[in-house]
Amino acid sequence: MAEEKQTGRWGMVIDLDVCTGCNACVTACAMENNIPWTGEEDAGYGRGMHWIRVQRYWEGEYPDISPHYQPVMCQQCGRAPCEPVCPVFATVHSEEQQINLQVYNRCIGTRYCANNCPYIARSFNWFDYSQQIPTPMNYYLNPNVTVRRRGVMEKCTFCVQRIYEGQERAKAEGRAVRDGEIVPACAQACPTDAIIFGDLSDPDSRVSKAARNQRRYTLLEELGTEPKVTYLKGEGTYGG
Amino acid sequence: MSEKLTRRNFLKLTGLGIAATAVLTGCGPASRYVLRRPYTEMPEYSQIGKSTYYATACRECPAGCGMIMRTFEGRAIKAEGNPAHPVNRGKLCPRGLTAVQGLYNPDRYKTPVRRSRRGDARTEALSWDEAIEIVRSALNGDPQRVAFYLGLNADHVFDFVEELTRTKGMPAPVRFGALGMFEARATLVEAARQVFGKATLPFFDLADADLVLSFGANFLETWLSPVAYSRAFGDFRRRGEPLKKRGYLVAFEPRLSLTAGSADEWYPLTPGTEGAVAMALGKLLVESGAVRMPEMLENNYRGVNVEAVAQAAGIPQEKLEHLAQLIARAERPLFLPGGGALGHASGLENALQIFALNVALGRVGQPGGVFLIAGEEKADSLESVQTLIQRMQAGEVDTLFIHGANPLFELPKSLGFEQALSKVRQVISFATFPDETSLFADYVFPDHSPLEGFGYVRVLAGTPRFAISAAQPVVVPLYDTRATVDVLIAASGLPYTDEVDFIQQKLQPVFQRSGAPELATFWARFLQQGGYWEDVGESPDSADLSTVPAKVLLPERAGEKTFHLVVYPTQMGDGSGANRPWLQETPDPMTTVMWNTWVEINPKTAEELGIHNDDIVRLVSSAGQIEAVAYLYPAIRPDTVAVPFGQGHTALGRFAEGRGVNPAEVIQSLTNTVGDLAVGDTKVRLEPTGKRRPLSRLESKSGVYGEH
Repeated sequence: MAEEKQTGRWGMVIDLDVCTGCNACVTACAMENNIPWTGEEDAGYGRGMHWIRVQRYWEGEYPDISPHYQPVMCQQCGRAPCEPVCPVFATVHSEEQQINLQVYNRCIGTRYCANNCPYIARSFNWFDYSQQIPTPMNYYLNPNVTVRRRGVMEKCTFCVQRIYEGQERAKAEGRAVRDGEIVPACAQACPTDAIIFGDLSDPDSRVSKAARNQRRYTLLEELGTEPKVTYLKGEGTYGG
Repeated sequence: MSEKLTRRNFLKLTGLGIAATAVLTGCGPASRYVLRRPYTEMPEYSQIGKSTYYATACRECPAGCGMIMRTFEGRAIKAEGNPAHPVNRGKLCPRGLTAVQGLYNPDRYKTPVRRSRRGDARTEALSWDEAIEIVRSALNGDPQRVAFYLGLNADHVFDFVEELTRTKGMPAPVRFGALGMFEARATLVEAARQVFGKATLPFFDLADADLVLSFGANFLETWLSPVAYSRAFGDFRRRGEPLKKRGYLVAFEPRLSLTAGSADEWYPLTPGTEGAVAMALGKLLVESGAVRMPEMLENNYRGVNVEAVAQAAGIPQEKLEHLAQLIARAERPLFLPGGGALGHASGLENALQIFALNVALGRVGQPGGVFLIAGEEKADSLESVQTLIQRMQAGEVDTLFIHGANPLFELPKSLGFEQALSKVRQVISFATFPDETSLFADYVFPDHSPLEGFGYVRVLAGTPRFAISAAQPVVVPLYDTRATVDVLIAASGLPYTDEVDFIQQKLQPVFQRSGAPELATFWARFLQQGGYWEDVGESPDSADLSTVPAKVLLPERAGEKTFHLVVYPTQMGDGSGANRPWLQETPDPMTTVMWNTWVEINPKTAEELGIHNDDIVRLVSSAGQIEAVAYLYPAIRPDTVAVPFGQGHTALGRFAEGRGVNPAEVIQSLTNTVGDLAVGDTKVRLEPTGKRRPLSRLESKSGVYGEH
């Protein structure tokens, strides 16, 4: 676990009070990141490749029952349990973006990382799902994202290709990255703007301000993983 | 400008204007016929390693959201929302996001085809010259014996066919789609006409309201313009600066939908009692003395027996009193008449009662209130479909043209469309995809996929402002398809050069409003921005409550052994989304089920009937029967079962076929006074079959109702 520098800490805040659980983030993520579908049977076995999922919990009994929705993706831990267990350094901590990387061409598929992830955020290519995409449907595959083969672990990258692109663009124009300039696919699609993404090291960024909200909490805080994703509790009788 | 404007400088200048979003017009203003080529013949504006973005309109549902398509070396990569568009402001729903999987679906029609036997998948390819000749001779026959059946999405096709039928003296086209059917859209339009004097859809300003009572409006998932309403819901919920209150949502629905799931209070009422509940709330408001109502309404409410309504709806009386207090305290209450309230025999009365509350509380034309959409809504009720079916049945239709609709899948089977279709001498479909209906067509002359063609979509309900979304090709057509309007122009001899010419002429009034110096400028801006919209909206200046009835009939309750059936559209939309593998694998938000159809049953009911999760059950109505897998759903009335719509395809390609069941098989063809389908009045019996089939779902099954 590398020590983190003090600028460019990418983070996310998810406001569960405005999250409607609609799953647009799930689809957007799949379309951006070349995530293959697995089909009815494999999805039923839990081999679905969703990098982000919306967890729906029930609270109460009919008729006073209410669902809570919680979108969960890789929490990009500051002290990530997946990192030290990888024998080949495929799950490494990026010093530049300060997120957890998955280096596909190093991964040998031991699946130690997934077993050690308390958030169940990692998905494994049990079969060559991406090779089953029929032509011409593979035309839409995003050229900025590697297409993964069988035996490789994968997970949410905070759309690192978009982070790179934003940083490169800012560098070329000789300026700092603007707040809100870099948006991952899930936040971009989110119809209610429940997902806020930005630089946590800038105290004035939208995401930093939102992360200081009194409704804040992180998942499994007691594990000390220092997640970069902060949730805001739902208010009122709903969500929370 | 200097005389010496070099090409390089020109590019720089135009580049400046578009640098912010880098959205290009499909073609330069004067060069509409320039085609985008695949990367083997890379056009000069395409830089290696750089994406090109095109603004277009999402045509997955009739809402008309603005879409920006990222293309790379001539291929459509990723659909994103258009941040400037007034409807969706950069957001998209799962259907819009998977649009590229529709475009690049391997099972599309690739050429015009002839089918020698209806229902047979085998076809023989035709040339477009032969195709146009066939359409021409069909159009030149007896005009009274030609019929058009159109879907809700493509407004330019509808406008063209309307003009064509008017010119040739043919019966007006029928326009109908499943999304409109489940929302009882024609009923909503009729209620708006009776109250506000204009046959158009109302717009509800959710964002600025502080209390919303939704009567069966699933506005976060499918209702009218789901992305616009979801966006508004975010604003409604967020505490704004400095003193905006957090909006409070109350939902009345027999089955907890995604919208009711986000509500602060959910009341599972008996389907069809929405109007009566609205009246009871009105009466309680009058009694509390907190609100002054028009005298006519006060008289109406006098006859309401709140206790009886509470009893019939299954909502405790003190809850109704609590809600009346909430409304009286609210500054900006708003009442939404959704499909759950309107798709009943008393649908129009329900709608009028809900509108009456909005009017009585002074919510018309106010921030957080009710507005009207600029422009007319042209969707038919089920009645016009029934008339067409009668004509077909009587052998009065020689040629039926179908575009953008799949009636064989969408319509209740009990209407008998399939039998009537066999009496039609010649069926010509313009489907891009081998759907159920085109499989029964003698000819299929495939239209471009929405991302390959021009068009426009009138904004349906997402904003009260005047707005029209522009659709332009984002990629070169993949196959030998042709725009339907082009085919019809060639065959009919109407005085247009081509589809683009028709669209430009049709947009003349919009061009006049826009103040652009010339049509070419308007057209370039129209395509580049993704449409045209104005800043001001319309608000109704008066409301007429004279038609609001003094009484609404309470619905017949489900009997001892029967259940109310709720059929609701999902992320598959009108069912055409079932051929997108990622829509299939995106879990249903409430049940997390993927790739199949399920029947939602209250766990208590299931226990009484001896039904477990993953048991196959049979639903039987007077119209037919289906078998589907049971899902024990803890948030549905015990006397109600619910089935999602969209699966159960017998055609529509490899990802859709043979998957799940189509609840249209059991929907009874009951209509309300407007002629809309009373979809909520169907009642079914529930029978265990003894068979089991596990559903694929994202949620873990361990610990759920003691199963593993």
